Order: sequence, then C-alpha cells, then structure tokens
Amino acid sequence: MKLLQQLGLAGALLLSAGCSLQEDPYGFVSQGNFYKTEADANAALIYAYAILPEIEYYSRGFITVTELPTENITLKPDAGAGNFEFDKLAVRADNVDLTTTWRYAYIGVNRANAVIANVPGISNMSETNRNQLVGEAYFLRALHYFNIVRLFGSAPLRTAPVTSLGQTDAAKASIQDIYNLITSDLKQSIALTDLTRRDGRANRVAAWGLLAKVDATLASAKLTGTPGYDFVTDAASLYAEAKTMANSALTATGYGLDANLKDIFDVTKKAGPEHIFDVTVDRTGLSEGNYSKLPLMFIPYIDGATFTLSDGTSVKSGYNHFLTEGALYNSFDPADKRKIDLIPNTVKVGTATRTLGITDYSRPFTRKYLDPQQVGEQTSANTPVLRYSDVLLLYAEACGPTADGYTAINRIRSRAGIAPLTPGLSATAFRDAVIQERSWELCFEANRLFDLRRTHKMEEILVRQYGKTITGDAYYFPIPTREVDLNALL
Amino acid sequence: MRQKILLLWLCAVLAPTLSWAQALTVRGVVRDGASGDGLPGVTVLVKGTTTGTSSQADGSYSITVPSPDAMLTFSFIGYQSWETPVNGKTTIDGNLKVDSKSLEEVVVVGYGSVAKSDLTGSVGTLKGSELNKTPASSVDQLLQGKVAGVQVIVPSGEPGAGATIRIRGSSSINGSNSPLLVVDGFPWGDAGNLKQINPDDIASIEVLKDASSAAIYGSRGANGVILVTTKKGKAGKTSITLSTLNTISTLPSKLDVWSDPVDVAIIDNEARGNAGLPLLYTGQTYLGTYYPSVAELKGTDPSKPKWPYRTYWPDLVYRNAFSQTHTLTANGGNERTKFSVSGNYYREEGLNIGNVYNRYNGRLNLDQKLFDNLSAGVNLIMTHTQRVGGGLSADRNPVFPVYNPDGTYFQIGPRDFGNPIAYQKEVTNTSKGFDVLGTLYVSWDLTKWLNFRTQISDKFGNAVDDNYQPRNITNTGYLYNGFGTINNYNGNEILNENYFTFNKSVGIHSFNAVAGYTTQTFNSRTSYLEGRGFINDVLANQNLGTAKTQYTTNGLSKSLLNSYIGRLNYSLLERYLFTFTGRADGSSKFGANNKWAFFPSAAVAWKLQEEAFMKDIPTISEAKVRLSYGLTGNQGISPYQTLDRLGSARYYTGGDFQTGFGPGTFGYDGYNKIWEGVPNPDLKWETTSQLDAGLDLGFLDQRFTASVDVYYKRTRDLLRQTYITPSSGYDRVWVNDGVIENKGIELGMSAEVLRTPVVQWTVGGNLTVNRNKLISMGTDQFVWNGANIEMLRAPLNAYIVGQPINVFYGYKTNGVIQSTAEGAATGLTGDMAKPGELKYVDLNGDGKVDDNDRTIIGNPNPKFLYSFNTTLRAKGFDLSAQLYGVQGNDVFDFRKFSPSRQLQRWTPDNPTNDFPSVNSNRAYYGSDWFVTDGSFLRVQNLTLGYNFKSNLIKHVETLRIYFSGNNLYTFTKFHKGFDPEVPANGQQYGSYPRPRAFSLGLNIGI
Repeated sequence: MKLLQQLGLAGALLLSAGCSLQEDPYGFVSQGNFYKTEADANAALIYAYAILPEIEYYSRGFITVTELPTENITLKPDAGAGNFEFDKLAVRADNVDLTTTWRYAYIGVNRANAVIANVPGISNMSETNRNQLVGEAYFLRALHYFNIVRLFGSAPLRTAPVTSLGQTDAAKASIQDIYNLITSDLKQSIALTDLTRRDGRANRVAAWGLLAKVDATLASAKLTGTPGYDFVTDAASLYAEAKTMANSALTATGYGLDANLKDIFDVTKKAGPEHIFDVTVDRTGLSEGNYSKLPLMFIPYIDGATFTLSDGTSVKSGYNHFLTEGALYNSFDPADKRKIDLIPNTVKVGTATRTLGITDYSRPFTRKYLDPQQVGEQTSANTPVLRYSDVLLLYAEACGPTADGYTAINRIRSRAGIAPLTPGLSATAFRDAVIQERSWELCFEANRLFDLRRTHKMEEILVRQYGKTITGDAYYFPIPTREVDLNALL
Repeated sequence: MRQKILLLWLCAVLAPTLSWAQALTVRGVVRDGASGDGLPGVTVLVKGTTTGTSSQADGSYSITVPSPDAMLTFSFIGYQSWETPVNGKTTIDGNLKVDSKSLEEVVVVGYGSVAKSDLTGSVGTLKGSELNKTPASSVDQLLQGKVAGVQVIVPSGEPGAGATIRIRGSSSINGSNSPLLVVDGFPWGDAGNLKQINPDDIASIEVLKDASSAAIYGSRGANGVILVTTKKGKAGKTSITLSTLNTISTLPSKLDVWSDPVDVAIIDNEARGNAGLPLLYTGQTYLGTYYPSVAELKGTDPSKPKWPYRTYWPDLVYRNAFSQTHTLTANGGNERTKFSVSGNYYREEGLNIGNVYNRYNGRLNLDQKLFDNLSAGVNLIMTHTQRVGGGLSADRNPVFPVYNPDGTYFQIGPRDFGNPIAYQKEVTNTSKGFDVLGTLYVSWDLTKWLNFRTQISDKFGNAVDDNYQPRNITNTGYLYNGFGTINNYNGNEILNENYFTFNKSVGIHSFNAVAGYTTQTFNSRTSYLEGRGFINDVLANQNLGTAKTQYTTNGLSKSLLNSYIGRLNYSLLERYLFTFTGRADGSSKFGANNKWAFFPSAAVAWKLQEEAFMKDIPTISEAKVRLSYGLTGNQGISPYQTLDRLGSARYYTGGDFQTGFGPGTFGYDGYNKIWEGVPNPDLKWETTSQLDAGLDLGFLDQRFTASVDVYYKRTRDLLRQTYITPSSGYDRVWVNDGVIENKGIELGMSAEVLRTPVVQWTVGGNLTVNRNKLISMGTDQFVWNGANIEMLRAPLNAYIVGQPINVFYGYKTNGVIQSTAEGAATGLTGDMAKPGELKYVDLNGDGKVDDNDRTIIGNPNPKFLYSFNTTLRAKGFDLSAQLYGVQGNDVFDFRKFSPSRQLQRWTPDNPTNDFPSVNSNRAYYGSDWFVTDGSFLRVQNLTLGYNFKSNLIKHVETLRIYFSGNNLYTFTKFHKGFDPEVPANGQQYGSYPRPRAFSLGLNIGI
C-alpha cells in the first residue's frame, strides 16, 4: 500500500512537467499577424521598394548585366569570369550574375504581389492612401516584368504572392502575355496614383513615363523586326500612345530639363526637376542596399589616394572595376558637355595633374555615380530609372521627324552644347539618331542594351561597328539553369 | 567475511620457526594496473608467515620481511593476487590486475550504468587518467586517437579553438554532424567545443556508437553520444591532490614564408612582368612607397647603400609560449556524505604574440543520504573563460620594416592594412564567457529493487565579444573612421528528468529497466551593438554611444523538447543478454504535422565464455558476440525554420529610412544573400537506422583483448536546404529528402606484453575504417557545399550522388604548358594558353576547356584512422607513447605555391612540370594541381614519469613528476611547413599552427 502511494506520488511528479510544442514566433512577423493596419500597408509597400537598391539589383547587379555587354564599359583585367561573360557577350545559363538578376526581379514581383493581394483587403485606412499604395505596387510589378521580358523574353508570369511550397513552380508565359500584364499594370497605376513627388517612390508621372517606354519598345521592336515581337500588330498606334504618355509626363508640374548637367547627378540636388523615378539610397544606411557602392565600381584606383576633379570635387580612389570603353568615349562630339563634364579625364593627385587615357588601366570615368561626401565606402548615389531626358527622347522617337520630334531632341543636344540635329531626316534615320542620342545622354544608366535590342541593332552596332563577337542569342539571355532545372512546369 | 577466513587461515598455518633473521623493511606502492591509481587496503603478506599489513589510502605500504629472499604476496578483493620475491630490494611497487571474473568495470550509459561485460551495444570507454597531458582548452580534442570509430579533427592550434568530432562518419548534409555531448547526465549540445570542463576533473568518458546505446537519446542520438562523467567523492579518508602542468610550446616546423628580400623582388618583378604590369622593384617610388631595385637589395648597386631592412616576420609574430594549468582537488566523505570539490586555473598562451586563453573553473559534487532510502545531491560546475587576441599572419614582405622612422606603422602603399604588429598592438579583440551547469537531484529507493530519481538542471551561459578596429590599422577601421562592436550572448537551458530504475533477479532471469519523462527548454538571447565613426580611438569600443552611426540587432531563440524514455535489460542465465530501448521525442522545432517521433532499438549479446563448452578452454576469458539494430534521429536545425516568416528591410524615402515588412527573409550562403521564408509544415527529423555486429574477445584473464565492430548506418529524410524555383521569389527551403549511408569497421586491441612484478609493458591500438556515400538528394544529383571561393571563382566541395560527401570538384591538370604550340593544342585560350601556365585538361575532348571539363578531383574523407599506444612501467618509472595516423585523405592545398616553391617556378630556362610561372594576374581554377595527399602519422604524445615513494616527504602519500611531449613529430609527404591536419572539408589555407608542446607535470596527493 505504501509502495502504491509512493508510486503515485512519483508518477504525479513525472507528469507534472510538459508544455506545448506549439512554436511561437519571436522577432519576426508572419502572414497571420500582418496586413492589418494602414501602417502595415505602408510597410508592405516599403518592403516592395526595398528590393530595388540591393547590391544584386539597381546598386550593382542590374548595371553589370545591362552595361557590360554594350560599348559603354569593359572590365579591369582581373575581374571575375562571370562578369567577363557579359562583357564578351557570351553569357551562359549558369552565370551567377544572370541568375541573381533573374532572382531579384522575381523577388520584386513577389513583394509587389504581396501588396496587390493583401492591401486592398485592409479596410481601416483611407481609400486614397490605399489606392496610392496599390498603384505604386502595380508600377513596381510592371517595372520588374519589363526588366524580365527585355532580358529574358518569355518567362513565368506570377500575379499572386507565393505562400506555400505547392505554388513555387509556374509555366512560361509568352512575351505578348507579359507585355499585356505590364501595360495593364501601368494603366492601373496611372488610375490609382497621384501626381505628388515622393523621393524614391513612383507616382502617376513615373507610370506615364514607363508606359511610354514600354510602348516605344513594342513599336520600335515591331518596326525593326526584333526577334520575338511579331505579335505586335500596330506599331503606329503604340507610338501614338507613347507620345501621349510621354507628353503627359513631360508637361507635369515640377518636372523639366535641368540646365546644368552636373546638377542632375549632384547627390545634394536629388529633388531636381529631371528625376522622375530613382532608386534611392543614403550614405547613413547601415548595410549595402541602404547605401550604394556603385560609384566605386566606376571610380579609378589612383594610388589609393583621394584626388580632385578639375572643378575641385574630391574623390576617393575606387575599385577601378568598370572601365569606360573607347567605343563610347570616342563617339562623342569633342564639344559634348556630356563627355567633357560628365566623363572627366583630368585629375589632380596632390599637386600633380594626371590625365587618364581611354586605354589606360585607370580611365576617364563617369561622374553620374559620385558622392563627394562618401563615408568610408558608403555613398548616397541613387540609381536613376526614369529621367526627364529619357522620356523627352522617347517623345522625340514617338513623334518621329516632325517639328515636335526635332524640338525635343534638339533641347537635349543644345543642353549638351552640340549643334541641332540635321533637319529633314527620314523616319528611320531620325529614329536612329534618337537612339544614338540616347546612347550619349543615358550611357551607364542601364538603357543602351535595351535600346540596341529593341531596335534590332545588336549585330549592326556591337559586331559590325565595334568588332565584338556575340555568342548565343543576342536579344535574350538564356533563362538561368537553376530555374530550368527546378521549375517542373517550365 | 573473507578477511576472517584469511585470519583463521593465518592462525592455522602459523609458521614453525624463523631461521636467523636478517630483517629488512620493504616499502612500495600498490596500484591499479589499469588506471595507475594507488590501491588502499591491499593485504601484503610475507609468504608462509603471518607477517602482514594493509596498504594506505594511496596504495603505499611498508612491511618488515624476515629475510632478503622472502616472497611477498599481494591480494585484494576484485584483483588477481600477485607474488614477488624480495631479492634484497627495499622498494617493491606493484600493479594489481583486475580479476575480470570477479569484478566488472562499470560503464556509464545514458540514464544509468551497466557492467562492462553486460554491455550489449557498442560503447567506447576511456578513463580520465588516460587523456594526454597537454594544454587543451576544449576537452573533446583530447579524444583524438583514443577510441575506435571516433574521428577528432583539430585543424587549428589557436588557444580556445574547438575540434570537429565525428562518430562513424557524417550522416547529415545541412544538419549537425556532431555527436551529442552529455556532461554528468546533462545533454550539453554538439561535441567539439567543451571548454567548460577541466580535464583533471574527468572520471570517465563513454562513447555511445551504435543505435542500441544511443537510442536513449532519441532525436539527438544519430551522430552518436559522448558521455563525460566528472569525479565523485568516495567514503574514506579525505584526499587532497594538486596537479600542475607547465608547458613550453614552439612552432612545430619552419614556416614557408619569404625571408630574403632579393627573392621577393626578383619574383615580384617577374610576376608583374609576366602579367604585363609595370615592375615595382626598380628603385622607384610608387604609391608613396620606395621600391628598391634588385641590385640595391643585393648591395651591388655602387650608387646606393645596401638596403637596410630584412624583416623576418615569423620572429616578430611568433614566440615560444608558456602555458600552465593547476588543479586542486579534495575527495572524501563517509557513509552518508560524499563530496568531490576542485578548482582549476588554466592559462594557455598562443604561439602568436598577444594571444592568450585563460580559464577559471570550479566544481562541486555532493551526495547526502537524508534517510536510509533517500538521498539528495548537487553537481555544480562553474567556468569563466577569457580569450585575448588571435591568429596573425607572418606572410609579409621582408623588404619593408615594421615601423617608420617616426614610430608609426609602415604601410606598403596607402591602403595597406596587413601589418601584423599593428594589428596585434592596436586592435581590441577579446571574448569572455561565464558558464554554470547546476543539477539538484533526489534519489529515492522505493523498494530494494525500485528507485525513483528526479532532478532539475540549469545550464547558463553568457559570452561577450569585444572588438575595436582603429582608423589607421585595419581596412574596416579606415573605412568607418573607427569601428567597434560588442556581441552579447545569453543562453539558458532548463532540464527536468524523472525516471524509475528497476533492478531485480528472479532465478535465472534478471531485469534492469529504466522508464521516465524528461523535458528540456532551450533559450538564447543575443544582442549585437556596432558603432561606426569615432572622434578618436582612445575609448575603443567602451562607449559605442559616441559613434556617429550606431547599429543594433537582437534575437531570441526558444525551443522545447519533451521526451519519454525507456530501456529494458534482460539477462538469461547471465549469458544471454537482451536490451530494448526507446525514446519518444517531441520537439517544437519541427513542423506542425510532425512534432513527435519514436526511436526504438534492440540488442542481443551472447557471452560464450559462460557456456560449458567454452569453460573447457581456459585461455579464453571473454568471448561475447553482440548484435544491435535501431533508429536514432537528428534534429540539428534552428527553431522557426518551419514557420512562414516575413522579412523586414529599410528603404530611404521621405528624407529618412522607412522600415518595411513582407515575404522573404534572408540568410547568407557564404557572401550571397539567400532568400527564405516559405513555410514547410511537414519538416521533421532525420532518421538513422543502424545495424551493428560486434565481437569482444579476451585471453589469459584479459591479458590480451580485442574488440571488433562492423556497422551499417543509413540515414534518411536528410534535413537539407534545397534550392527551389527562383522565380517563386524564394531561393531556399528546408526539406527532408535524401539518404546517406556510412559503413565501417572498428577494431580495438590491447595486450600486456610483459607482466612481471618488475616490468610491465602494454601495447594497444585501434583502427577506424568508415566509408561514406551519398545515396540520394531528392531530385538533385549535384549540390555545391559552400559558396564561391574567391581565389577559384567557384565553390570546391560538392555533394554528388553516389560519392562520399564533400569531394572536390574541378579541373584536371597535366603539368605545365611548355610551348605556345602546346598551349594552343590544349583547348585553352588567351593568357591561359601561354607557356608557363597550368595545362588544364580538355576532359570531354570538345576542343575547349570549360566548366564541362570538371570532374571529381579529390576526396577529403580518410580511408582509415589508426593509433598506437604503449606504456612501459618499471621501478616507479613509466614511459608511454601515443601515435595517431590518418591515411588516404586528399587535401586541397590553397598554399601550394608557397614562397619556396615560387623559387622553383617554371621559366623558359627551367621547364618544370611541377609549378607554373609566377604571374600577378593569374586566375586559378580549382584543379587537381592543388590536391595533395594528406596522410600523416604523428607522434602525438610521449610521457616519461616517476612516482616517488609514499611518505618520502611527510604526509605526502603520492608524488609523481612527469615530462610530457606533444605533437613531437609528424611523418607525412604533405607540403613541408604546413600541417596536414585540416578541416573536414579538406581545405588547407595555412591555419594557426599546432604547437609542439613540452610539459612538466607534478601531482601531489596528501
């Protein structure tokens, strides 16, 4: 009996312990406790934007994959083999930079989808703000898909966020389907967003500008016979829509051409009239992606020292990684301020003046990415996505050799200090001239590759004019191996 | 009882008469032949007389013998008696051998203990006294070569560095591969880093290798279990012992670094010339540094004085280090109270200047009988550790001095932060830790055959790392104008265990059973404080609030493990043994659909020596066959991996950073961001099934023993981080897929070659053979292990189905390209096809060398491990040696082109095929050129000791002095100047050198 009592007591002790194995999250939020309030909605959109300035996207990776294949930049000799594949136009499907670009565009898509799927259901917030947030998310989704379709062509199209392992695979959509979504997203964005300028965020002007670019891409690709764009039926009406959209953006209050070229890229003047949509960073950020190191990729390494430009701007030695190519540098009119002011070739190291030659190890470099107040390696240099001059040239292209078209392109040329464009050009010659103007105006800003592709000029310019060799498809990069291997529905 | 019989017998055979006496006093110490510990209470008799005495607590005795040719007999219960002639000696020390038939060594197994002869599973055992005497900041590294089936890799000689421990191979890809370490019954965590235990406190270490023995630890048992048991008090006289060990450590071999400035200049000029870069060593100032010409360095330039500097960095960066450890222990007690208490001070100096590791450790084990059937006790271990400094590189250019004339540090160019002296003197780099493991228990004998034990334990750990990098000393310090961090860790685990132990024999049946319930919570909190940009470097990281930019992160991780345990040992006729073990584990870390798991095992053993037909063969003292099969698990992942998680990030808008939340959190894969966060509610543990067959043999009363085990382990549901379709917006997710198998043979042998009263010589050895093979990984056939290695622009180790894990994957080479024509024929292009470059092989013969030509180029897993040990004892002296060897593993030698080999480079005049030309801009591929055989045999330990006679100094019962040498010599064909013992992935970068250590030890017992 006593034994039984003792056993019972011990047994009770034994069973007294034991807690639930349910795991409670700590330090992170999950689907179940988010997307409830207006603050949550704002934060969801911020997260969607935050993918843009990551080093793998607009603060480096996107510039790497779009600028290296062109005649704008090449690489220092000991750069990685993956980078060289882009420079040599021989990109393989397992290229890490290529895979990264693919990944980040889709991470961006997923984040925008999360806003589009969840924010409309948050009722306890103002409708105006809700529309604005969702409209910006539509803009972002369009931007990511525009990047995807221009880089890779046909690709999976996802319009809802992935929340379980069962949703990770998706079939390829046609180029046409992707453009349809881009166009409809931008139209949604135009309908939902306002005209207020907010640094680092898109508004209706940005949506107009981006739609103009999308339309011009479709129209020019159709007209020039770029592979993959056979589905476009009416190039003329697309150019017409591009003209309308561009015009809306160009005439919006607060936007215009900056008279001084250097001011556009002055990190203290980020609110200048030329900025329609920039990816923003600040040197006070704590990790790369909050700040940018992109300028260091372009800035030469000169004795490891701080040197000064002719206007007194002080520059710390950079990585000397991206080198300006002679093909671009020598194509400028000698009087072009975009060369003289924006690609300096004279620096002062201590008291000695040094001239950087275009074939030297340290070459003339762009000051589009430059932050003289750089802290350590942290800069505030934003990456422009859509500038006023970009949209103005799209407008000129859409107009063709009309008075409006000439006025638009000559505004750009006059600011650069070069003569007006030869009058009386044919439509084709005029549009070729606009594409050439865009190469000078928008070099290093991730436009040239797409301009060459959409005008079917990859071989004409890069191979025949500049003697490069293209291995593989000139117009679309291969879909990364990892996607092909893992996506059962591809 | 026996003593009474002895007494009667003595009376009966009372000696007739003594012949003329030439009385002689003989003294000595009687020891346990296995452990070397003094044996108290041994009966010492003059044969054929009634003259007798008993040995003291330390084993010492003194007896007066009637004549120099008398015979002495030593006898003690549980030991074989021993006779020896006096032969006129006045000192006779004796070692008594355990009588294997009457006393059984007790082996600790999880939640209990068992006689060694009754073991049914595969358990390796080691006494604390068998550990080598050398500075070792983590105890587990001393297991190297001691137990068959246990692989211990100590890739670094840095004080405080841990070890990698594998039992029977690696059975997981992304989960943990480390055995579970259990200290005094408390499941401590992954083995390999046990810094909190003083080796002098260890009574025994048991290694549970097969499923039957490890299944009691269920979901943590798949990698095996290491049980560490600290010393407990015994009833009897209080003994106090002091152990000290003083050690001088030196570099084991001359480093392969630059020593002659002329060599540096010649090679550098040649390397830059081959790369098409302007030469440096031409007598010019470049980047603010004057580079002398080769002639100036040689002193043959008439216009310049001979170059004044020749800095031999190893002399400045390395030192002969002095280390010491002192332990004071008191053991004792009576029938009701038993205690063991000790304190330890440990200081290990690293070979690098300024690098020190200190430990202060205290331990108390107290056991009190409250009532005759109820006892309670406490085990307490407290440890404070402190590390200052770390590894420094001696690979620096000897052309330049340490300091400028003004006393500032010399920099080679404006962004050179590689001066090791500056780093050591100016950078703050310390860590401190405080750990406590406390257990309170109550043990209650409900009946004679049933015991209930309940205990509560708390393991608390606290660690703080301090770091500050001044502005002109490191690159980080330069970039941020001073960079300081404080890293805090706080961990707390609470364990409650309650179990019954049942012990009963009925006729020919005997039963021993354990059943109970345990619950363990794991909590850890971390915080990281970072400050960037300071006004000056005076305060270092003492006030991070004064930094221009401050950054904080914190984290908490919680998990819970609830378990039911059970084990039944059944013995029939004392010769047929059966063990059934099971543990049910419920872990919070696993997916909602898979919280609980059950791990059963069974074993059977047959003691053939107990059979009648075997008793006729008296030479065989033990013959036992064992067979076990069972399941164990691995839950080695972090909490929260199965939940859906939203990430956060900041974006600069509205003039400030705003915080956002959304799908996807990131981790790093090397240096790439990897996005995760898709939930997997089905995630569960890995399951290992293991079959083990063993044979234990002993001959001539266990004078010769051998134990062999053959096993087959198959691990399924591998916890694996697998890539998922990248267009999903996620990169990676934890899944269970894949199978790994390990199979192998373990052999342990020991022999008492000489067993005379004067000389005893034992020889032992063990052999470990394991073969590892990856059977499947879901749909993957090939997965890299690790991120890109910058030098190779690719990863190196791979998981490939059908291969052992971690094989090297890369290019084949075939010497060096000797001519332009040969280069063109290789399929290489550009600079890589030039004479003097490595000749990579176009394996698939498609006319070009590219990624498709890669193949498996090496296997870092050894073919086998082996060790020998031997001890010779005579006249108070003992000499022992241990050798440890690893055979048949490949090492990827990143330092292959070391300075001495650059001097043997390819040149047009030296058309070697061994080494390429020197070239500043060469891009290397991962190739078999770097792969080198890493086999070695090391003279791990050599000890010479002397045990003084008891009471030589008044009250001093034992006094032992010994010399111990460690890492004395390594036989290897590996790269001279580098240690072949490298991490498990086979990558050799030139780690912190393993010291050659010479120790002088002293043990005093009163």
